[in-house]
Amino acid sequence: MSDRQIQIVTDSFWPLLKAGVLYTIPLSLITFALGLLLAIVTALARMYAWAPLRWVAGFYVWIIRGTPLLVQLFIIFFGLPMVGLTLDAYPSAIIGFSLSVGAYGSEIVRAAIVSIQKGQWEAAYSLGMTRVQALRRIILPQAARVSVPPLGNSFIGLVKDTSLAAVITFAEMFRRAQQIVATTYEPLLLYCEVAVIYLLFSTVLSVLQNVSERYLERYSAS
Amino acid sequence: MIRVRGIRKAFGKQQVLRGVDFTLPAGQVLVIIGPSGSGKTTLLRCLNLLEVPDHGTLELGNVSFAFTPGAKLRPQDVLSLRKRTGMVFQSFNLFPHMTALGNVIEAQVTVQKKRKSEAEETARLLLGKVGLADRADYYPHKLSGGQQQRVAIARAMALEPEVLLFDEPTSALDPELAGEVLKVMKQLAAEGLTMVIVTHLMKFAEEVADHVLLMDEGLIVEEGPPHEVFRNPKSSRAAQFLSVLTD
Ligand SMILES: Nc1ncnc2c1ncn2[C@@H]1O[C@H](COP(=O)(O)OP(=O)(O)OP(=O)(O)O)[C@@H](O)[C@H]1O
Ligand SMILES: [Mg+2]
Repeated sequence: MSDRQIQIVTDSFWPLLKAGVLYTIPLSLITFALGLLLAIVTALARMYAWAPLRWVAGFYVWIIRGTPLLVQLFIIFFGLPMVGLTLDAYPSAIIGFSLSVGAYGSEIVRAAIVSIQKGQWEAAYSLGMTRVQALRRIILPQAARVSVPPLGNSFIGLVKDTSLAAVITFAEMFRRAQQIVATTYEPLLLYCEVAVIYLLFSTVLSVLQNVSERYLERYSAS
Repeated sequence: MIRVRGIRKAFGKQQVLRGVDFTLPAGQVLVIIGPSGSGKTTLLRCLNLLEVPDHGTLELGNVSFAFTPGAKLRPQDVLSLRKRTGMVFQSFNLFPHMTALGNVIEAQVTVQKKRKSEAEETARLLLGKVGLADRADYYPHKLSGGQQQRVAIARAMALEPEVLLFDEPTSALDPELAGEVLKVMKQLAAEGLTMVIVTHLMKFAEEVADHVLLMDEGLIVEEGPPHEVFRNPKSSRAAQFLSVLTD
């Protein structure tokens, strides 16, 4: 590497990391929180709701899982203004990613609920609990533990997927890298650098995931 | 008091209960025995409506049900019946995310809406009764099977039910651990709790039972006080089953 290239890499490191910390991470956290809420509501709706609501939930999951996230983002950001609904890049990204987390997450939540032994429901019912009480107090807390590992994977996936928000002009980390490439003409260097930062983020998250799993294992039935 | 009349239950085409009647006065212990598949578990589960019978009537204290196929039961009636019955399962079914104490507190707070402090007091009392006062803060997976089942008994008693239902409570346990559970059950029987117990343990049945039902293919084929049923069975089916069991 030439001195100039080393200079470019070091100069761009902090701006990239800053974009990651200011935009990539918050976007991931916000959409994950919203998406998780949506996932739980969707999973419960698909399993227990009144039939029309069940269909709505199933339809939503079908659409989101059956179409590319990139296309969904384009529809929200470039398409919706055609019907008078113009959203900034940030809210568009939040909506797009939350819908995605909600749909895929609902399958994880549903599988976790189904995995709880029937005996747990029966014990709850035998004590006079209603279905809602049994879910809230007995089933969901256990399902939450079961879904931590797969949801952790989803979160790591989400952090990487947020790079797609670059195409709808949202100034997250990857977009920042593109902008620096536009002025320095060093695509290989910059894109590798941003890849390393994503790798850094995912690695930290994987470690956190392992720690939380080990913590949860201490309390789970063997 | 529990009164059951003409209880029938089918799973698909298979008739599992074919007209069961019995009356259990308060304070008595009823033991149900019978070969595998005779419908003992199903009958027990009908008593707290984990299974809903197709026909017949069920009375417990002042709640009563008349079953007809396809009829919907009022949810509040079902809940009210379940609050008056406690069930102890073969596989314990403790809530693994709660301590022993938490397991016994849970329904008092969620179902009965008791204050936490009051519920905790009751829970500690019950854990003491089953000999586990010193295990209150243990999670189920840190307890032996016998201890787990005793916590389950305390949990089933937390709402002060009018009757306790036991489905082979010791069949998942080593004899040694089973002994400590049986001891607790004998003590509860001596205290005058109303209990319905499905078990294969004849010696235990003879000790605690006021009345024994022997079921076969969904019917009661023999009933009476334990010494009569066990020593002088009237039906040949009962004699045959008992000879296999005492071998
Ligand atoms: N939920 C169910 N669906 C279909 N069939 C069932 C169901 N529960 C029980 N059965 C059938 O009903 C019959 C009676 O079962 P039940 O569990 O009441 O017998 P049991 O007397 O408790 O036997 P065991 O001594 O083996 O526990 C069996 O043939 C069983 O296969
Ligand atoms: Mg059984």
